[in-house]
Amino acid sequence: MSGSVKPTRVSSNRAMKHYKVILFMLAPMALAFIICPQQFSGSGEVAGQRRGTRKVAAPQAARKAPIDYSKFSHATKQHQEACKSCHKTPTANWDKVREFPDVADYPDHDACVRCHRQQFFKGVQPVICTVCHVKTSPRDDARLAFRNPAAPQQFTIEFPHDKHQDVIASLRWRPKSDRAVNTFFVKSAHVLDDKKQNYYNCEICHVANTKALAAPATGWLDGYAPAIDTFKAAPDGHASCFNCHWKSQEPIRNNCGGCHKLANAPFVLPASHERKSIKFRHEGGGEKRTHAVPPTECTSCHINITKSATLRGLKPDVPITGCTECHNKSGIRQDLNKELASLDQDKKFVCSYCHTSNVGKLDPPASHYVVAERRALKRKDLK
Amino acid sequence: MKQTNSKQITWRTLGLALLASLAVTVVAQTPTALPDARAVIRLRVKVVLGDATKARGLSRKRFFLIKGSLAENESLIQSFEQRLLVSRDCYYRGLGASEALIRWLKASDCESVYCREVEPKDVEGADAVPEFQLAVAAGEKEFGSRELARKWLTVNLSDQIRDGFYKRQQQDLVALIKQAEELTKVKVMSVMTDRNGTAYFTDLEPGTYIISNILATEIGDRASLWNFEIKVKPEDLATEKPILISNPGNKDPRYVRNIKFVSVEKTLPACPAR
Repeated sequence: MSGSVKPTRVSSNRAMKHYKVILFMLAPMALAFIICPQQFSGSGEVAGQRRGTRKVAAPQAARKAPIDYSKFSHATKQHQEACKSCHKTPTANWDKVREFPDVADYPDHDACVRCHRQQFFKGVQPVICTVCHVKTSPRDDARLAFRNPAAPQQFTIEFPHDKHQDVIASLRWRPKSDRAVNTFFVKSAHVLDDKKQNYYNCEICHVANTKALAAPATGWLDGYAPAIDTFKAAPDGHASCFNCHWKSQEPIRNNCGGCHKLANAPFVLPASHERKSIKFRHEGGGEKRTHAVPPTECTSCHINITKSATLRGLKPDVPITGCTECHNKSGIRQDLNKELASLDQDKKFVCSYCHTSNVGKLDPPASHYVVAERRALKRKDLK
Repeated sequence: MKQTNSKQITWRTLGLALLASLAVTVVAQTPTALPDARAVIRLRVKVVLGDATKARGLSRKRFFLIKGSLAENESLIQSFEQRLLVSRDCYYRGLGASEALIRWLKASDCESVYCREVEPKDVEGADAVPEFQLAVAAGEKEFGSRELARKWLTVNLSDQIRDGFYKRQQQDLVALIKQAEELTKVKVMSVMTDRNGTAYFTDLEPGTYIISNILATEIGDRASLWNFEIKVKPEDLATEKPILISNPGNKDPRYVRNIKFVSVEKTLPACPAR
């Protein structure tokens, strides 16, 4: 038995030594774990950040940046509940600020407080109040205009021109007499002698622009400042939507997402317009305003609008024939021919009847030559 | 066996080279359209009503461009032709709509009440439309303004009176377009005529197409259906191809010589007794 004891003691001593070594190794690690647990809690990402450069660590710093509660974003996940959970349609103030029932104000305090109580009562002037209020003061409840024109847009609009085009007026047929069976064409929907334009057409939404045009930062090209009515206006509210889409005709007033689609990022609508033929005035066409009155109508020139199911990628799509029906017709005008003839004489000629020099100095497109019944030419080929 | 000497080989090689270079030259000289060129069809629809002598543009009517020939799409065309015709008048009579409403819709060839503004005379006085009067009364109660109630009249009309006929037409149209797209494997393009009866199909590639209005158009007491074939050739690219179409009986000297296609007309069926 004794013979067996000795080796056991030896092995026991060795084992003790091993335990001590392991203990010495593990103890500092355990200590470090107790003192700095966060260093061990992370995933590989944190470890990676520790090993990485400062640049890699930057996103973590960005994530930890304090939230700016003065900016409200519909893109925030918590803000993507049903629209009606915050917005009322119509708002209580509609009859004071609009001529029709509308969403004309910001949501009530409850919509914010139910999640943002902490921010709502933070300090004397909580920054979150500035999202809706002009002043941050309990004594002043004045609110910014809804929607705030100074704030970037958060939604794009979905509008099918084709569907709307389908339901507007057609030719006007009228009985020869009230009791006659046969009918004949009397006049069409938008004829000159209509005292009032009661017939629905594009102008329900697109009236002549009345707002002053903002010059580009670099000034108007060639010093040509377009007239205000060069452009048409586009709807910037619900006035021409809710009159049909109030109830039962979808998308109705509470189905905001039927028309408003969250944009990938907030955006600001361009202050100035881009146009190839900036000198064309929608309300122009001489004394008779031939661009704006029958027999001309919007679809005479905007030839693809009636098949457009979305606003995405929508282009004006005005073919040169829309212009040359009058501007290059024998016996009437020869504006295109004159410009092309001038170009024949001088290859540096800048077409200026319709265009400013950014477009006028380019090669005329083949379509222009086709209309002029000529072979297409490039400036470099001219003498 | 016949022996081929090196001289023969040289001549053959030279001959082949000459032929190849000629072929390259011919291909290079062939006029090609501009790389981004697409053809445009300018469709003009001029129709006469009854025994009128002057033709007028058929405004605000949809026309469709379907890929393929009439022969390839025979079954599709048959579907268009065999579609059960229900006139606007019969649809609304079937609903029990007032004669005043039927007249109001007919006055501007409206498929729905969205077509034009309801004027004060349409809700007050001798020519008032009873359906409109009821809707205005409901709107006045809701909005507290008779003027707003008139302007927003459509929100207080029943679905069927408001746009039932239009939706019925659309339902048929969607089904027929789906059938066309399944058959041709190509999206059907659509455009609407302007007030002068002109519409453009743009961005077209060479090929054979059918132009159709799919649903017969009511012109007076008749329904006109156009189904005709056109060819867009490579040389049509970067140009505008004008096509004038009409209904039977158009003798207007301004157009008669240029009419390319005439519709098939049917008399609108009588309304079933209620």
